Amino acid sequence: MLYVAKRIAISLVLVWVVATVVFLALHMVPGDPAEVLLSTGGTSPDPYAVAELRERLGLDRPIMVQYGEFIARLARGDLGTSLVDDYPVAEEILLRLPRTLELILAGTLIAVSIALPAATYAAVHAGGAFDRAASAVAAILQALPVFVLGTLLILVLAQWLRWMPAGGYVPFAQDPGRHLLLLLLPAVAVAKGLAATVFRMARAAVLEQLSRDHVRTARAKGLTPRRVVRRHVVRNAMIPVTTVLGLQMGTLLGGTVLVEFVFNWPGLSTPLLRAVETRDYPMVVGIVLTVSGLFLLINLAMDLLYAVLDPRIARS
Amino acid sequence: MSMLTRRAAMIGATAFGVLPVARLAQAQPRPDLLRFGLSVWPPNLQPWQSVGQAAGMIKMLIGRRLVGFDEKGELRGELARDFGRDASDGAWVFRLDPRAVFHNGEKVTSEDVKWTIEQVAGERSTAYYRAQMQRIDRIETPDAHTVRLHMKEPTATVPLWFANYNMPIVWRGTRNMNEAMGCGPYRLAAQERGSWIELQAVPNYWVPGQPRTKTIRMTLVADESLRLAALQSGDVDFIEFVPWTGMAAVEADPRFKLESTMGPFMDILFNGTRPPFDNPLVRRAVAHAVKREDIVRVAFSGRGKVLEGMPIVEGTPWWDAELSRGHNYDPERSKALLAQAGHANGINTTLLTTGAFAMHKDSAEVAQQYLAAVGIRAELRVVDWSTRVSQGIRGQYDLAVHGVSADFNDPDGLTVVLDTSLSAAHGRSFGLSAPRTTELLNKGRQEFDHARRVEIYKDMQRAALEEVPVVGLAWREQGYAFDRRVSGFRILPGALSLSSGVNLEFTSVG
Repeated sequence: MLYVAKRIAISLVLVWVVATVVFLALHMVPGDPAEVLLSTGGTSPDPYAVAELRERLGLDRPIMVQYGEFIARLARGDLGTSLVDDYPVAEEILLRLPRTLELILAGTLIAVSIALPAATYAAVHAGGAFDRAASAVAAILQALPVFVLGTLLILVLAQWLRWMPAGGYVPFAQDPGRHLLLLLLPAVAVAKGLAATVFRMARAAVLEQLSRDHVRTARAKGLTPRRVVRRHVVRNAMIPVTTVLGLQMGTLLGGTVLVEFVFNWPGLSTPLLRAVETRDYPMVVGIVLTVSGLFLLINLAMDLLYAVLDPRIARS
Repeated sequence: MSMLTRRAAMIGATAFGVLPVARLAQAQPRPDLLRFGLSVWPPNLQPWQSVGQAAGMIKMLIGRRLVGFDEKGELRGELARDFGRDASDGAWVFRLDPRAVFHNGEKVTSEDVKWTIEQVAGERSTAYYRAQMQRIDRIETPDAHTVRLHMKEPTATVPLWFANYNMPIVWRGTRNMNEAMGCGPYRLAAQERGSWIELQAVPNYWVPGQPRTKTIRMTLVADESLRLAALQSGDVDFIEFVPWTGMAAVEADPRFKLESTMGPFMDILFNGTRPPFDNPLVRRAVAHAVKREDIVRVAFSGRGKVLEGMPIVEGTPWWDAELSRGHNYDPERSKALLAQAGHANGINTTLLTTGAFAMHKDSAEVAQQYLAAVGIRAELRVVDWSTRVSQGIRGQYDLAVHGVSADFNDPDGLTVVLDTSLSAAHGRSFGLSAPRTTELLNKGRQEFDHARRVEIYKDMQRAALEEVPVVGLAWREQGYAFDRRVSGFRILPGALSLSSGVNLEFTSVG
């Protein structure tokens, strides 16, 4: 119990540190939200209008006053409103976070369902034609920038063949078929890097398991090769793969920015990019806090899981 | 005799799966719906704040200005049935169309116009035209449909102010400016912040037969290549800001039409508060150093035009062939000017630009090379847009590359760029003295005789070529592309091209 309380306390401190660092960093970089807003499109704003807007937005107050107000609001669970249009930050996040998570989940499903069987087959037939070809494809996929793959997919499937839409989003409730169709290409782009990582990790893990004594014993017992692989190799090889997958999913929370931009998928990255460009402090802090909070939550869950799996960790 | 092999079955199954997908991929067009690919998200729809062209387009469709522009860029009444200057007392008179009503059913009256002007001119206003509206001395509303504006000093360009998309007339009962009551052909029906906006035609709009399309759905497609792909794949019917690299493809494709014109332009700005760019000779050296053809080729894929004078639109009465080449590419002259200014060994300096827009960065990179060739060694400083704005306003640069459009095609629309006596701005040279240019801009604004105005603005160009408040680099082509089924849309000429979105009310599908 003490262990759990300690981990939660550490996570809360980390949230405060992240919030403070992001808040201060944003205020230290050049750029003023009022100036940027009134300069949209290249026009030159009237300095009186800028001063008036700064006052209305509360940006003319000392930074520590703004910080104190921000932390007090955060403690009440209030992320504030956008400086650009007064829209509640929490509402924006609640609308868009599920879309980003959906994209990550779909990408992970595609990656795992392709990479795991391929890695197992490649490892079992190590050195064979399939192994060499699959390893080469994995290396290429890992090296291929996501925007290149995304652009190619759009060029070929949307512009040339006109089989797929170029990008966009339709809510599932409105049109399930089109929703899934629009999800497909960005999910493939998300899956690209993950599939390569999972393939390499799983192949290495399966190869390692294949040389273990218990596998040799299973074979000696007369089990069929398929049964040996399924029961004694893949299951054990999944432990390191699952760990990597968990970490990768966390990384993908911040890594879908390019994919969402290229395919016009309205997840969290679009408002984040726009908010950084316009120095919309509350929106940036709110989104960064949400993403880092999720990250911390995953880490906390993993810490707690380790404690359950190995009580020695909790005791130490 | 089995005809169905395993391979044939697989191919059949694949085709069976692909065909419905291909059908699904084509979002079905509807004659009452225009699907528009938006380039940027409008930050807000407050009526009088200047927050960019996208917001301007929507504001023009939701609201009405006193005056608008026809396809040739000539002023025409919008809310005003007619307008002109009263010779007896010099007042500008606008007579409102009595049919005009706001979306809440209230009649548009002269009191609404008066209230709008007062709000824009107010001390706590954040409006783009605040300073201009403060030049109005007195507003008279002799009846419900007549507005008389008495200016503090004679001003020939007043109707142009009221044609700007940041000057819609708003119902005087409006309290929340994020939901300002307009009187335009469309109303905001629904939106998802940062993704899409849906405009619905106002039932029984006060102009019979308008608008032509019942619904306009604007979807944000920020990436220009994806926007073009969305048009080509049939996801949208209409896109704005067609990428220069894709214009030829659109023109060559019989399914689409491109409407484009030279409108906005790129220029170099100076920090005139310190050497060496406080010296007009050095600024002229910069002006003669850059070969603009390469900027047009590199930054705009050839879809632009060299700008070797002040940014006066060709074909207008103010344009002059000789003056338009006043800063022609002449590296020898550039070197001579540098030597004359005491910099025979060249100059080390900085060139500020933003990486947020490729055209800014590309233009700066080309300019940097040509400046180096005459001895002006400029270190390129590429920053994000917010930093560019901040450093521009604070004069934290030596040279800066900028892209902008005049407010309108009349040379007075260039005041925002050329009048360096105005407040510091990222789109104007900083702390630079160009007194003759400023004086002639003021003189032109106060002159009502057309022939005399033409001469004044030619003198202004001569002064600006010597004082060099900016160095023009290139005109850039501004384009809209749409499906051939779309009709009725025309791009507005020159500097007004960014206001062309208002013509969506005349646009129909199918």
